[in-house]
This record gives sequence, structure tokens and C-alpha cells, in this order.
Amino acid sequence: MNEPDQNQLPAVDIRDVAFRYPPSGVGEQGIEVLSDITMRVQPNTRLGILGPNGGGKSTLIKLILGILEPNAGEISVFGHRPTQARRKGLIGYLPQRIGADLDWPLSVEQVIAMPLRAKLKPWQKLSDEDQASIDRAIELLEVDQLRDRRIGALSGGQLQRTMIARAISTRPKLLVLDEPTLGVDIAGQQRFSSLIDTISDELGLTTIVVTHDMRALVAVADRVACLSRTLHFHDTPDGLTPAVLAQVFAHDIEPILGAVHIDAHAADDCDDPAHAHHHDCGHDHKGDAS
Amino acid sequence: MSIFHADHLPALLAGLGIALIGAPLSVFVVLKRLAFIGQGVSHAAFGGVGVALVLGFAGSSVTDSVMQSIIILSFSIGAALVIAALGRSNRGRIDTAIGIVLSASMALGFILFNIAESRHDHDDHGHAHGAHADEHHVIEEILFGNILDANWNMVWATLVAGALILTALWWFRHKLVFWSFDEPVCAAYGVREYRTGNLLLILLALAVVMSMQVVGVILAAAILVLPGAAALHLSSRLRVVMIWSLAIALGGTVIGFVIGDASHWPIGPSIVLVQSCAYLGALGSNKAMGALRSS
Repeated sequence: MNEPDQNQLPAVDIRDVAFRYPPSGVGEQGIEVLSDITMRVQPNTRLGILGPNGGGKSTLIKLILGILEPNAGEISVFGHRPTQARRKGLIGYLPQRIGADLDWPLSVEQVIAMPLRAKLKPWQKLSDEDQASIDRAIELLEVDQLRDRRIGALSGGQLQRTMIARAISTRPKLLVLDEPTLGVDIAGQQRFSSLIDTISDELGLTTIVVTHDMRALVAVADRVACLSRTLHFHDTPDGLTPAVLAQVFAHDIEPILGAVHIDAHAADDCDDPAHAHHHDCGHDHKGDAS
Repeated sequence: MSIFHADHLPALLAGLGIALIGAPLSVFVVLKRLAFIGQGVSHAAFGGVGVALVLGFAGSSVTDSVMQSIIILSFSIGAALVIAALGRSNRGRIDTAIGIVLSASMALGFILFNIAESRHDHDDHGHAHGAHADEHHVIEEILFGNILDANWNMVWATLVAGALILTALWWFRHKLVFWSFDEPVCAAYGVREYRTGNLLLILLALAVVMSMQVVGVILAAAILVLPGAAALHLSSRLRVVMIWSLAIALGGTVIGFVIGDASHWPIGPSIVLVQSCAYLGALGSNKAMGALRSS
């Protein structure tokens, strides 16, 4: 079978996907987290996925990573099923919370090399190509000085850079970052977004950043998808209107508008822009967030 | 010294075999916080003893012993996997799962032991006495063990199990370290979390069963904790930690043997006490180094 030409294919192709978590107890019903999601992410895009807590962002990420299987629809990553893409090392992933056990007596370099070592046969050593990828990741994330430092001795920022270096050590084509700027101040977010710019440009990566923070999203993304159980919007950040945000963040609209100063008059489909501050404009959106 | 007497050679070799198994596993046990699972599995093995006794395997012949070991081993591996599965389905509350499996297995073990005992009471008197003695001996051995009872069969069994465990640890070392270090993320990099976790639990169950036949249930769990716990205070490099763990496990066994033998103390507890002292020493030296660095 021919390998799909990865330059011609969308980085991520999501078609009619739905997902429901199974019931967790007697008498409980499964929770439908996502329904009717169709989205195509082109290569070299920086896509921000925006949505409220519980809106299904992390679930969508797990589906793209192949950790969960959709109940309906299909997902492909560079033409492969997500599990295949993961096995081929096409996806790098930074989780929302770093859940690693930092008591382990491991150096920064050992942690960064973990995904590549896990693929080795027991008797194999890292190839020169693999070692070069690790060195490149260490250089790009500026953790060269920390190579031999114990993983538990890093600051929060150093640890995050180490984990991003680990995510790109496998030479992925898609980098998935789940809430990477949670709890980071504005200066930190700006540093982070320029870091992501550099990495993505240098390595030709497609990047998906999941966030519920508008500032983080606008700083990083050149495309935006708004997700609250279903997809409300998928376009450039300029097209984000208060009406769309009202749909997605039904209860949080005021503070968000205050934070990013989105121009209500840009609500292009809306007859009366003044309405957009407080109400939706009657767009036919599926799965209204409540 | 009498420990180098030929009669004591199987005991010493079995002890060293257990140390060889305990050294690398204990590092995983401590870092992955599995110490309580070790306790759970070793006590759950009591259920396996009950099953073996009811089926008539009291360890009175070689075949009997082998069958008894197989039953106890299967039961313990089953218990470890049930603990893992219950823990996952109970939103990760592994302590509840251990509590349930440990007590249920102990209860089952005692009931089956009683059934086996009362069955012999109804048997021919001539056999009953011998069978009773066998059962009590088995229970006592399982609980407290006596390393000096180790025979060459036990040495071979320990060496085979040790070789199996060490080979598996070496073969899957990268996946096991990745899973132990970062379980929530390893699946995203193709390391199957349940499969890798179950592998470690199976190796742990095998180690527990081998250890308890040599030093008893109560001491087996200690041997699967102490060397790693001590070694982790002595280095921040995994490779060096493993070497320290091995040195403490093997050294503790030999020194425990010598002290126990010289002072006529039971050997198993002497080994555990020596390793406990090594732990305190390692903790103390770590604190002292920390104080020196900060001064």
C-alpha cells in the first residue's frame, strides 16, 4: 500500500465525530461530550481550540491522539488513524497538568529521550538520528544548561519547556498542547507564544493549542475553533464575534469581552451590533451551550 | 562460621536470590508507591495457601510443593490484577481495592484452612495427625518463614523466578520507566498503560510469592521496599540507585545471615533489620549532605 503524501493531506481531518463517556455508576447515563464535529486542520496551521471547562476540549484531544475512540465518525492525522499516527511518532503531546512523578532520579535529557527509547528493541541504543532529534529539541527549548539536572529540581517554566522538548523529540508533524498557559501571567504567555512560533516554524509543525483563555489563544493561533459540545466556529481569530463567544461561553461573556476588547461591530452576520453584547443573534448553532 | 557450613548453603543462596529480585523491583515499588500493593499481594497469597490445602497440596513431596507454589502464584497474580482493575474502576482508589482484596483473601484462606483441617479430622486417625502437622507447618512457614529450611529445590525455584523477573525488567525497562514516571502521558507515546502496569504487578506478585516462601509473608513485603527506599536517598541517578539497591539487598542478606547466626536470632528478621538500618543510614547521610550543602 502506498504511503499517503503527507503534504497533500490535511494535518487533522475530523468527520462527523461524536463521543459519549460510558456510565460511571449504576443508574447513571453516559455523558455525551461531543457531537457532530467536522473540522479540517491544514498543515502548518496554528489552531487554537477555545471553549468552556467541560466543553469537550480535552476529550477532542484524546480522540485526536487515539487515546479514546469516537462513538461515531472518523478522525485521521496526516492520512493515518490516530493510533497509527501516534505509533509513527507523528504526534507530540503536552498534557494539561504535568502528572509525571518528579521524585524519579532522572535527568532532563533522560526524560526528553523517553519516547524514543520506549520504541527501541531491548538490545538497541539510540540511533544517531534519534540523538540528533533530542539535541535539537534541547537546543530549541533552551534547556541545554539543564541537560544533567534532576527532573525534580526544575522550576515550573523549565519543567514545561522540558516536557515540550520531550513532545518534539520524536520529530512529530503535529504538536498538541492542552492548556499550556494555565496559571501563567501575561508576560509568560507572550514568551510562550513566541516559543511556539519558533518551534513551529523551525520544525514545520502543525500546532493545536487547547485553551479556555482568550488571551492565550489570540497570542498563539492563526485559526480558531470554538468548542462547547459541538463546534460553534472554525475560522481566523478576526472572525470571532461576541455573538460566537456568547454561544460558547454562555455565562462568562462579560469578563471575556472585557479582557480582549473584541469589537462588537465585527459581528458581521448581526443586524444590530448592539445586540451582540448580550444576546446571540439568532444564528442557527447546534448544541447550544448551557 | 557456621553459615558457610554446607547445610546452610541453600539458605544463603535462596536469600541472595531473593535479594537479587528485590533490589531492582523495590526501586519501582517505592517510586510508584506500590509498597502497600506488595503487602496486599503477600497477604492475599494466604487465600492461595487455603486453596492449595483444600486441594490436598500441603507441600509434603516435591510434586506437592510445586503444585502448591503454582496455586499460590496464580492466586497472587490474580489478586494483583484484581487490585489493579478494582482500583481503575473505583476512580483510582487503589487503597480501597487493596483493603478489599487483602481481607477477602485472608478470610478465604482461613476458612479454607479450617475446611481442610476438619476434613482431616474425619479421616483415618493415623493420617490425620500427619496432615494436621503439615497444615500448621505450612501456615507458620507462610506467615513467618524460616530461611534455614530452604532446600535446593527452593534455591532453583528462586533462581529461575529471579532470572525471569530480571530478564523481564531488562527487556521492558524503557517502557516500565516511562510508565512509572509519567503514567498519564505514556499512552500518547505508544506505551500501553494497562499492559505495562499489569506487567509490573505480575512481576511483583511473582517476587512476593518467591520471597514469602523463603522469609514469610510478613517479611516479604519489607524486602521489596527497603533496598530501593534506602538507595533512593543515596543518588539522583537511576543507574546508581539500582546499583546501591543491589548492594544493600545483597549486603543486607549476607550481614543479616552472619549476625543472625552468631547471635542465634532468626535469620529472616535479622536480614530485614540490617536492611532497615541501611535505610536509616542512607536517610541520615542524605540529611547530613543536605545540611552541609545548605550551610
